[in-house]
This record gives sequence, structure tokens and C-alpha cells, in this order.
Amino acid sequence: MVQTKKQKYLFLAFCLVPTFLLFAVFTLYPLLSGLYFSFFSWSGAAADREFVGISNYITLLNDGIIPRTILHDYFLVITKVFGIMVLAMYFAVAIMQMKIKEAPFYRIIFFFPNIMSVVVIGILWMFIYNPSLGLINSGLEAVGLENLTRPWLGSETWALPAIVLPSIWAGIGLFMLMLMGGIGTISKSYYEAAELDGASEWQQFWKVTVPLLWPQIKVSILYIVITTLNGSFIIVQIMTGGGPNNSTHVMGSYLYQQAFEQYNFGYGATIGVMILVLSLITVFLLQRLLRREKVQY
Amino acid sequence: MLTRIGIRLPLILWSLAVLYPIIWMILGSFKTNAEIYANPWGLPESFNFQNFFDAWNNYNIDLGVFNSLFVTVLGTVIALILAVPTSYAIERLTFRGSTLLFNLYISAMMIPMVLGWIPLFFLLMRIGMLDNLFGLAIVYAVSQLPFSIFVLTTFMGSIPKELEESASIDGMSPYGILWKIITPLSMSGIITVTIMNAIQFWNEYFMALIFLQSRENYTLGLAVDFISREAVYTNAWGTLFASLTIAIIPIIILYAIFQRRISKGMTEGAIKG
Repeated sequence: MVQTKKQKYLFLAFCLVPTFLLFAVFTLYPLLSGLYFSFFSWSGAAADREFVGISNYITLLNDGIIPRTILHDYFLVITKVFGIMVLAMYFAVAIMQMKIKEAPFYRIIFFFPNIMSVVVIGILWMFIYNPSLGLINSGLEAVGLENLTRPWLGSETWALPAIVLPSIWAGIGLFMLMLMGGIGTISKSYYEAAELDGASEWQQFWKVTVPLLWPQIKVSILYIVITTLNGSFIIVQIMTGGGPNNSTHVMGSYLYQQAFEQYNFGYGATIGVMILVLSLITVFLLQRLLRREKVQY
Repeated sequence: MLTRIGIRLPLILWSLAVLYPIIWMILGSFKTNAEIYANPWGLPESFNFQNFFDAWNNYNIDLGVFNSLFVTVLGTVIALILAVPTSYAIERLTFRGSTLLFNLYISAMMIPMVLGWIPLFFLLMRIGMLDNLFGLAIVYAVSQLPFSIFVLTTFMGSIPKELEESASIDGMSPYGILWKIITPLSMSGIITVTIMNAIQFWNEYFMALIFLQSRENYTLGLAVDFISREAVYTNAWGTLFASLTIAIIPIIILYAIFQRRISKGMTEGAIKG
């Protein structure tokens, strides 16, 4: 059967149009509309919508909480990148080089928190940090360190570090698997050659594994940065709601508070634009930074 | 040079750090409140199911389970109906702009969607789908389109072109080729995408928080979060442990069956970014 051009186009339209329409309505339109909203003052009621130009952006620049939220986001980005990459790298190298029997056990166990819900992880860790019935304080008391106990999530100093820990806990498995996949593709001959040249295991790690694993390392870092900037507010919202005294607010949780709790929808959209711009700039800069370090063999 | 034990020790310690909190949570669901306070680290005195009973009957966890099941099943079905034909067209039919379209879908994975949730809230309100599980399922399905298209195009790329060509010569319509040849042959990819999307939808919290309002529509995540916020006043810690356990049981079962596929699907999905 020879297809006519018309039939071909009809089939293409059948494949592409419904999907694209829904994508346009539920993804593209809301994103563009979010940009548009940022020029309005709006409490949600139709009559209240008022064009205010760049007034929201001026408010944003003068909002004392904004710099703190940005700082908190980048604190999470940096601690997560280092925490996850160092541990995932150690585990991946250890498992791949030792050829131990229980390796599948580690793969399965370490990865499991990656598929747990953020709500479950957040609430579980709220328990762990609970001042009276949690694991940490009762554990410290049990070993005679009761002077180190504190209400972790209620402390302005400790709440943010207390939020990072579960994010690292839940994130390591995925990146360990990605790095293990990369290590698996490195030819043994590189290590044999390095060993003949008298390189120690430590030197082999830095001179062979890291450079050859660079594509996976780069992707992992970028992925952690993007998901943290775009999604860390979820665990913040669950564990502290931004408190105590704004000490854990990140950009996204502040957006949620402004838009959906205080009904400043226009200002919330302005914060959203800021998140978008900051994450695009960060990814762009990071890509340049990581590219320069690339080694060719 | 480190000894073998020295290398292995961190692996053992991390296994404990991962497993212990999860086991602690499951054990806690069998404890009475008095036991939780008296002995946070210990085993329950007996394995009674009172907490599960309370969570299911008195704290609306049953509704949460059914609502989550509903959005999960509907969301995964809609995502497939949308993603399979599009992936086929992008991967196999040469048309102008196919790369552009693919890149448009893929780049959506890098954009912070939180910006879009404010307009989406009003859009759903206007079309009467706010506080509506059907509306949430559509939003979920569309949110996983980029990932689904990414994975499916990869799978479809490995199907030999000759199969379609000979089917076409035999007079099969392109619809037939898509349905009777491409869909069965990419079943492995379709299963991967289905599992990944289902886990995502079952676990989702924030969109449900924004787009659902009435308690009878709460998904499991919202229901658990609600109990958690109430527990500060009601001290229903055992019930909360039980609801958390109920929330991860399906995930544990799914993981036990599809462990390899899930870890492979996730690492493949992660490489996109």
C-alpha cells in the first residue's frame, strides 16, 4: 500500500498533536504564564488582578528574606554535591574494585531510599530528630553525651544541616550506581599499565579512574545541582516549613508561602522567575567550569 | 594500602545507616505510645496491629491509599497513551522539526516547575479540575512526559527498521505498525517507564498539596503529612509510624520484584539532565 502524503501527515498528527497540546496546556502555558504573572499584583480573586510593572521585582530586591533563601539553597547545593559525590564515589570504587560477594546486597540496600517518597523520608527523619523520642538524642544520651542533645529541627543553627542529612542519605544510591556503571566501562588495561609504571592505588584513582569517569561525574554533579535548586523546597516544606524564624526557608518554600499561604500570587511568580533565572545561570556556569577540567585520552 | 576490612567497614556502616531508620520505622508501627517514649531504640513488646487498624479506620489512611492508587493507575495509563505515539514519531518518522520537538520535551526536565504551578492552579480552577483527582492524574501524566519520551525513544531506537518496512509492504497501516509491531517490541521500555512513573505518582506530594483541598481527595502523602502535623497535639506516634509503613509497603514490593529494572530506569533517566 502506497501512502499518500495526506495519510502520512494525518498519522503524524495523530502521534504528535494530542501529546503536544496537553504538554502546551499543562507545562508550556503555565511556565510562560508564570513569567507574565510576575508583573501583576494578585491575591487570587479575579477583580484584584492589577498590572504593577516591575514593582514585584523591586520588592524582591528589597526583601530581606530573599538573600537568606538563596544562601540556603546554595548551602544545600554545595553540601549535597560534596556529601553525595564523596560517599558515592567511595562506595562505587570500593564495590567495583573489591569484587566482593555481597556487592549486590549493597547495590540493593543503598539504592532503596531513592525510591522512597519525600514525605516518608521527611517525616521519618523528623522522628529521628525528635527531641524526646528520636534516635539521635536518645542515642547521644545512651552513650553519655547528653550535653550534645538539642531540638535539632527547632534550632536556627542546626535545622538546615539537619535537613541536608536525609537528602544525602536518600540520594547516594542513585549516584553510586551511575558511577559504578561508568567504572564498569573503563578498560582494565589502563590500570595494568598504571601498575606497571608503579602507580599506587591512590594514584590510579586520581590519574585513571577520575579522568575516565569524568562524564559520569559531571552529569551527576549537574543532576544534583538541578534537582536541588528545583526541588529541595519539598523536604524543607515537610520538615520545617521554612522555620524556625526563616532559618531554613529556601527559594521554593518561600514561593509557596507567599503564593499559597499568603495569597501574594504575583509576588510568588516573581520569586519563581528568580528561581528559573538563578538555576539557568548556575547550570550554565557549572557546565563551563566542569568542561574546562575534562581530560582527553 | 588500605586493608580489605578497612575498605569494607564504611560499606557495612552505611548499610546500617540506611537500613536501621527504615526498620526502626516499621518496628515503631507495632509499638504503643508508652513503648515509643520509654525505649526509642528497642523492639516492640509484641507485634500487635492496633496502630495499623487505627490508621486505616480512624485516620482515613484507607482513603489515601485508594486515591493514590487511582491517580497512580490513571496517570501511568495517560502518560503511556501520550508518550508512546510521540516517541515513535520522533524516533522513526522523519519530519521537519523532530529534533527541535525532542529537545523541547527534554529541556522541560531542567526547568523548575514550581514557577508554572501558580498559573496551573488557576488553570485547573477555571476548567473545574482543582481539588479533582482526575485533573491531578492528567497533570502528573504530563509532568512525566519528558522522562517517558526520553526513555521510550531510546528503546525504540534499537528496534530493527526492517520489521516496519516489511509490514508496510505487506499492507499494514502505520497505525497497525505502531500498535502491533512497535508497541509489543518496545514492551521492555514501556514496562520500565510504567514502573518509574507509578513510583513517581505514588510518592508525589507537592502538586497534590497545592491542587487538592478537601480531605476526602487527599492522596496518601497528604494523609500521612496531615497525621504527622496532628501528632504534635494528639501524640498518635504509633499511628503515624503505621501510616508511613503503609505508604512504603507497595514500594518495597515493587522494588523486590523489579529491583534491576528500577535502578536501571532511574540511572538512565538521570543521565538526561
